[in-house]
Amino acid sequence: MIVKLSTRRRMITAGVAFFAVALLLVELYPIVITLLNGFRRDIVILSGQKFAFSQLTTASYMLVFKNRQMMKAMGNSIVVGLGSTALSVGVGAMAAYGISRFRFRERNALAYSFLVFRMLPQMSLVVALYLMFRAIGLRDTLFGIMLAHSSFNVPYVIWMLIPFFSAVDKSYEEAAMVDGCTRWTLFRLIFLPLVAPGLVVAAVFAFINSWNEFLYALILTGVNARTAPVAISSLIGGDTLTWGQMCAASTVMLTPVFIFTLAMQKFLIRGVAAGGVKG
Amino acid sequence: MKGAGGQGSPVPFLVPALLIVFAVLIFPIVFSFVVSMFDWPLSAGGGERHFIGAGNYVDLVQDKEFWNSLKLQLGFIFIAIPLELLLGLAAALLLNREFNGGRVIRALILLPVFFLPVVSGMTWRFMLQPRYGALNNFLLALGAPEITWLGDPTFAYAAIIVQDIWRMWPFVFMLLYAGLAGIPTDILEAAEIDGANFRRRLFSVILPLLYPTILTALLLRIIDALRIFSEVYVMTEGGPGMSTTLFSLYTHRQAFGYMKVGMASAMAIFLLVISIVFAVTLVRKNMSLEKLEERGGDR
Repeated sequence: MIVKLSTRRRMITAGVAFFAVALLLVELYPIVITLLNGFRRDIVILSGQKFAFSQLTTASYMLVFKNRQMMKAMGNSIVVGLGSTALSVGVGAMAAYGISRFRFRERNALAYSFLVFRMLPQMSLVVALYLMFRAIGLRDTLFGIMLAHSSFNVPYVIWMLIPFFSAVDKSYEEAAMVDGCTRWTLFRLIFLPLVAPGLVVAAVFAFINSWNEFLYALILTGVNARTAPVAISSLIGGDTLTWGQMCAASTVMLTPVFIFTLAMQKFLIRGVAAGGVKG
Repeated sequence: MKGAGGQGSPVPFLVPALLIVFAVLIFPIVFSFVVSMFDWPLSAGGGERHFIGAGNYVDLVQDKEFWNSLKLQLGFIFIAIPLELLLGLAAALLLNREFNGGRVIRALILLPVFFLPVVSGMTWRFMLQPRYGALNNFLLALGAPEITWLGDPTFAYAAIIVQDIWRMWPFVFMLLYAGLAGIPTDILEAAEIDGANFRRRLFSVILPLLYPTILTALLLRIIDALRIFSEVYVMTEGGPGMSTTLFSLYTHRQAFGYMKVGMASAMAIFLLVISIVFAVTLVRKNMSLEKLEERGGDR
């Protein structure tokens, strides 16, 4: 009886594993296509040839790396991502500290409104941002798009960091207060090092949010500050069908995201539940 | 925690964040509302602007394309999200056990969620191309006729839904899997020992305990689906015709296609109100500051 039961269990487990692998193949197929097509020539892709290892070449990558506009857009993406991340984590850490280590009447309302702000659709803001940025000369500037990305990253970072700040034992701050530390010194010298892991997690997710973002970049930037997602989308459309280059450039963009994703499994759920990773 | 931080004022720590929130969230929202009451053309020199009060809102209600975009948007939500929830739940239940490679599979299944939305739209557009697209290659091999998927209104609409399901059911799976792992195993074992079959266990034990997580996943997905733009924009550009012009795409077209910023702002405010209703519901029901603080930094 026991033997039978365990055989049955094993069969179920094998069935589940089979199902899981099938599911995985479906989910990974479009990703694999993108990765492979980056190593095939446009002409090979457009002629509909079956995949063969002999087709593999880095020609599309070379074209992407030689494409000035694409390289500039990728550079912009890095600058905007880092800038928006630095701004959001700096400002967000202060606010998260303010919310979690002080008691004041509007505390809950403030924390919850940051969360609601994170969930507002970009389309509701972008028209107004466009008019505002055009009026004050921020349209098509790196600072402008950085600021726009902070509209979702600041609330996001605050909500991510609150639990990290709350977890710090109060004996630390009591001891420091007795020593005559100001709140600012306390924040800088005691809290920031203690929540450093949280800062890293929040920074990674904030960077990915900015890195993947498309709508603000599409509307608020032009030739100067255009970021990579917009540049990639312009590789396809009308008579331009450079699928190979599109996939090569996409692979370059996807690589850091996938590395972070796989490395940060433990934090993924909180990362997405705080408002989703979304363009 | 209670005594902590009694002294001092939190204001200096909150001011920078509040300034940014004011500049890029509150002010644009108020400004949108103001613009929505004007006949406001996009032209750079600032063409003729007229205050028309609720005029744009009245025009919207009478605009057939507005209702069409709303219908497409709601259809999108009502078809895609239930399927994502079902798939996510089924996969979470099935994979909630240990087997060789299980961890790797669970990690890899999440990759589509982090696929750049733009790239996802482009890749699906690629796969659905006639002549060289993967789907047609497959169907041709089976002897089926070639179809220009994205050139057909119905197929194009189905395609943007399938793209979303492909990309986002793993997101639901991720949340529900974590929720399942949070159910104490002795409860499940007790039910099993009491002789409850799988169906009983599912409906009387698992689903009730998982309900808060399911609700969170549902609301997060609705909020997210309400603002979908980039995938669809690069996949179909709203076409053919208006067949995939979802709400955000129509707003975009009003502002930057028809150059009617006032109308676009009225649509923006409409979408904003709906999104706030769902976001506040989610926050009220399922996101508690106390719980978040208790959990601490390491999980």
